Amino acid sequence: MHRAPRLNVSGVLINAAALVLVLSYALPYIYLLMTSIKPAADVQQIPPSFFPAVVSFENFREVLRSSTLPRAFVNSLIVAVLTTALSLSVAVPAAYVATQYRRRITTIFLLFALVTRMVPSVALGVPLFQLLKSLGLLDTIPGLVLAHTSAAVPLALLLMSAFFEGVPKELEEAARMDGCTRFQAFRKIILPVMTGGIAVTALFTFITSWNEFLYALLLTSEATKTAPIVIAEYNSVYGLAWGAMTAAAVLYSLPVIIVTLALQKQIVGGLTFGAVKG
Amino acid sequence: MAGIELRNINKVYGNSFHALHDLSFDIRDGEFMVFVGPSGCGKSTALRMIAGLESITSGELRIGDSLVNDVDPKDRDIAMVFQSYALYPHKTVRENIAFPLLMAGLPKTEIASRVDEAARILELTTLLDRRPAFLSGGQRQRVAMGRAIVRKPAAFLMDEPLSNLDAKLRVQMRAEIASLQRKLNVTTIYVTHDQVEAMTMGDRVAVMKGGVLQQVDTPQNLYNRPDNVFVAAFIGSPSMNLYEAVLNERTLTLGSSSFEIPDGVFEYRPSLNGASNRQVIVGIRPEHMNDAAIRPSSAEISAPVTLVEALGSESMVHLNIDAPRVDAGDPNAVADIGDEKAAVARFSPKSTVRAGDIARIAVDAEELHFFEPDTRISIW
Repeated sequence: MHRAPRLNVSGVLINAAALVLVLSYALPYIYLLMTSIKPAADVQQIPPSFFPAVVSFENFREVLRSSTLPRAFVNSLIVAVLTTALSLSVAVPAAYVATQYRRRITTIFLLFALVTRMVPSVALGVPLFQLLKSLGLLDTIPGLVLAHTSAAVPLALLLMSAFFEGVPKELEEAARMDGCTRFQAFRKIILPVMTGGIAVTALFTFITSWNEFLYALLLTSEATKTAPIVIAEYNSVYGLAWGAMTAAAVLYSLPVIIVTLALQKQIVGGLTFGAVKG
Repeated sequence: MAGIELRNINKVYGNSFHALHDLSFDIRDGEFMVFVGPSGCGKSTALRMIAGLESITSGELRIGDSLVNDVDPKDRDIAMVFQSYALYPHKTVRENIAFPLLMAGLPKTEIASRVDEAARILELTTLLDRRPAFLSGGQRQRVAMGRAIVRKPAAFLMDEPLSNLDAKLRVQMRAEIASLQRKLNVTTIYVTHDQVEAMTMGDRVAVMKGGVLQQVDTPQNLYNRPDNVFVAAFIGSPSMNLYEAVLNERTLTLGSSSFEIPDGVFEYRPSLNGASNRQVIVGIRPEHMNDAAIRPSSAEISAPVTLVEALGSESMVHLNIDAPRVDAGDPNAVADIGDEKAAVARFSPKSTVRAGDIARIAVDAEELHFFEPDTRISIW
């Protein structure tokens, strides 16, 4: 027997509300996207238009032809990938030990990690500048990676600690009974179980480094300038190059969107980890 | 396979909590030993120390002939089944069972045949490619067993492996684990807080309380010859009824009732002879109190009936005996009875007593237990 299709009123309302919410968040980005595909002449027209009259990729061609932006993109990518790798390699084992072998010292350790998040970046910028200068790492990729890692590790540590709280202690113990050393148990059992949490942490770490502006401004000059700095420089003494700037910003946002979509399954899995008992 | 020997094992935690006091006993090769006791008695701590997951503060632990105090868990050749099963969620049943063999570096063909054999024994063959998330509680329990037996270890350690199962499955798995252990003949230590599990599964049972070993013996001996008040009350369900009483010559006065103790008791417990108004703790098992209207006896007491639970095959009759009741120190015993003043008698279903009646109770005086009021140790 076929049931006549019925209009699900509450479903429609919830979806409509969700759509409004998404649009209100996405509107600035949609405007950015629309502006980037307007011809250069239309970008600053008065009154401004939301949708382009003619679709043009002129702005994209301009920024990609420029000498600085592609180089800055590569720098940003290298710095973000290295920062993510370094932060995770420090934060994941540290968070595991801090949560699974709870001692007074590990609690203090986690607390201190939080303290570094409480200090404004600008207050750490000057000491970092001095430190990297004395190490000869100013305006180098390793220097910026270290600076970004110092900002990303506390965040990664806190995120991973929250994920590890959900891992039963017996899992490691079972692995040890099954013939693993503590490190093997961590590597062969705990890490694979934690892929969702690690993916979420990796994404947040990557975004932290990819979007980072202040340290990049303070610690780099020409050779290792990252994309946010270059994009900001479109606001020059000759005026604000809106078209180029929006095109660069769109290009700059793509990697984060792609990575988020690619890791979607793990992120949802990671964010709901431990919510339901397996 | 190997025996396990514990000598004066102590566990003191960093906060100076003394969890285990001088634990000493042997577990024979191939024996099924059950550690039982109320929560916090140290049974799981003892098991985890044997596993190597907890350090030993002092004392000696031997598996086979080797001292293993400082040996890593992976090198003790023992397998453990956890209360939560601790299956690896990202691995299939096959990979879970194969994992210890993989870690031992066995050749692939050997691993495959042993996993298949374990799966056949535990009826898991059709589930080998599933992940733990897609298994029922009973199936997960079986996989945990599979991961333990596949290694053919020197000993199995099981930490309340049935407590997450429903009552029916628990009874079924109880029988399966016991028969599997007999078949494999591997030394097994099984931790439980359930005295029925302990009594039905163990070759011997170690009763623990507050980190102190109370008695190690066969289930029947624990029931018939408990060493102290705690063991007497802990083993048996419903618990033994314990009251303060006075023994004068051959006459026992229990509250307002008095009756003669038969000669056999004095042969069995010679130190009771010649008692003159001696204070004792007397223990009466529920099945040793019957309806005097059905089974008359020379030892009779009267008590008001507060509740009758008719179970079909028998009736649990709750009585208010007017003697001071003795707290055995077992939290479960009070929970069993509900009312701390009430005694429980196991009457024949033919009994017609009802709540509110004053029942005449025939006490099987040959079967009474006697304990010292000060030390709470059995009087023999």
